[in-house]
Amino acid sequence: MFSGLHAAIEGTRAALASIRAHAMRSALTTLGIVIGVAAVITVVAVMEGLSSSIDAQLDDLGSDMVTLRATTSQEQAMLGFSNKLSYDDFLVLKAKVKDVEDMSASMQAFSFGSTVSYGRETIQTQVIGTDSGYQKVIKVFPQQGRFIRSTDDDRRRRVVFIGESARKKLKLPDNPIGEFISLSGEWFRIIGVAEERGSLFGFDQDNYIIAPFSTMASLAGARVTENIDILFRPAAGADLDNVQTQIRQILRKRHHLSGDDKDDFEFITAKKTKESFAKVTTSVTLVAGGVVGISLLVGGIGVMNIMLVSVTERTREIGINKALGATPNFIMLQFLVEALVLSLFGGIIGLLLGWGLAVFISMLMPSMPGALVPGWAIALSFGFTTAIGVIFGLMPAVKAAKLNPIDALRYE
Amino acid sequence: MTYDDQVIKLSNISKRYEMGGEQFYALRDINLHITRNDYVAIIGPSGSGKSTLMNILGCLDIPSSGEYLLDDQPVASMDEAELAKIRNQSVGFIFQSFNLLPRATVLANVMQPLVYRMLPTSERQNMAKQALQRVGLADKLGHFPNQLSGGQRQRVAIARALVTKPAILLGDEPTGNLDSKTTQDIMKLFDELHREGHTIVLVTHEQEIADHCQRVIRLVDGKVAKDSRNDAAQRERLHV
Repeated sequence: MFSGLHAAIEGTRAALASIRAHAMRSALTTLGIVIGVAAVITVVAVMEGLSSSIDAQLDDLGSDMVTLRATTSQEQAMLGFSNKLSYDDFLVLKAKVKDVEDMSASMQAFSFGSTVSYGRETIQTQVIGTDSGYQKVIKVFPQQGRFIRSTDDDRRRRVVFIGESARKKLKLPDNPIGEFISLSGEWFRIIGVAEERGSLFGFDQDNYIIAPFSTMASLAGARVTENIDILFRPAAGADLDNVQTQIRQILRKRHHLSGDDKDDFEFITAKKTKESFAKVTTSVTLVAGGVVGISLLVGGIGVMNIMLVSVTERTREIGINKALGATPNFIMLQFLVEALVLSLFGGIIGLLLGWGLAVFISMLMPSMPGALVPGWAIALSFGFTTAIGVIFGLMPAVKAAKLNPIDALRYE
Repeated sequence: MTYDDQVIKLSNISKRYEMGGEQFYALRDINLHITRNDYVAIIGPSGSGKSTLMNILGCLDIPSSGEYLLDDQPVASMDEAELAKIRNQSVGFIFQSFNLLPRATVLANVMQPLVYRMLPTSERQNMAKQALQRVGLADKLGHFPNQLSGGQRQRVAIARALVTKPAILLGDEPTGNLDSKTTQDIMKLFDELHREGHTIVLVTHEQEIADHCQRVIRLVDGKVAKDSRNDAAQRERLHV
């Protein structure tokens, strides 16, 4: 055991000397591993940064918020049907479902149009019609003015609560309360501006305009029966499954669905959203992992190739060392350590490079959260490069160890 | 001279090679004893088995049959790892082409055999410096082999052979690559080392090298053809 350690130390010395002697060649040899490790670290760092920020933002939104939304199956869509949730559905649910803290109806005013103007500025934005409950469910707070109240809804007042980006894009004054903006030719007075939420995946989360639900519904009028989203938050300690069951029973009955029919609505929970994001990040990481695996394999073959060349080149040196008393095991260990040092070198450079690259990428994209290099990725990279060094160094090392000293001494 | 003073004992050593299905003897039934502090030349025409004998004496190769005791250790049946240990402890090689490590300094070259002995670096350095002092190269420690003359390189190689304090110094045409003046210098060094008590075996085809030795063994066709002792008075004249 001690002689193994001794050989490892001497082997490391010899390996470092040999790497120094062939600096350029060693650098090129490790390039494959550098690229492989840099790629894995970059991808993992960016993905980790992304998913941790997604988690944080979803938690911010309220991980217990549930969105109820109509779904239309492909067969139905091909027949020209599109399922809807109506305002009456909402009213019934609000009255009947127990264990629900807040429930709010919200309408995306696509048919009404999303062109908004102020003065000479005209922008496209997301126009939402909703009730006062929306504020509690979504947790949106005014930085100026106030949110929509139930009296606005009851009286179909033409008022709007706007996001910070919408205010900037419309070139509204810093305090826009009382200003009028035009929504498809109808005038609305601004009653509040929301706190800034920032962006998620490059999507601006502050570019929206909220109007009272009833005002929007009446303006959409007879043109179409609007499809609404129903947002709710289960009461503290309530069982979400139980709440969903209640809603499912009511809606299935109201939509005249029989036993075999599928639900024409779905529940979207923050947990579900998180899971689907996690699925995306996992599959991206897996694909990247595959690519990286291949590049590390190529890098490993590069190391093996150079080590084989090195063994041939140093045949005479090996012969001399054997004549001087180097055992086959010592020679093998020395070459193995050299391969290991080469690939670990590549691993360290790759790690630093990947880290730098990830930080650079997250700086380039303003909406990108900070890069995060998790410990397991570092451990994995080093584990992998170590394995590559050993696996691909073994063959050349065995070749060196098996050289016949007489032939090796005669080698020109 | 006691029986135990025999550092090399070869009994019925044969070395066979297969060539094209035919057996070919490089060495045939060699019986040879060499006593401690002897100074032996092994001569013979090329193909006589000189190199094969030298490889076996140096434990680089093992015989096909026979017994070989080097410093009372049975070498003939050892495996490669054991042979490596014996080479490190009991044999000091001096090659015709010096065989120094080109990328290592003079000091590092001489320290190299001690690497395999698990000695602390400081001790290796001290031993190597002493050996280099002995061959007159104490001022060249940091030089690289390509910065030295042929004679100096061979002195480094001799220092490297001496540093392990081996039972035998084994020279394979040690002056083969040197001019006559340098050859004389190197042979003088061998003569001195012999007087200091080293056992020296030189394989050569040059008569004037053999003339320096006490004992000359002539090989022909893998057999000992002649085993003679040089006249002491004649050797004295060479040592001027």
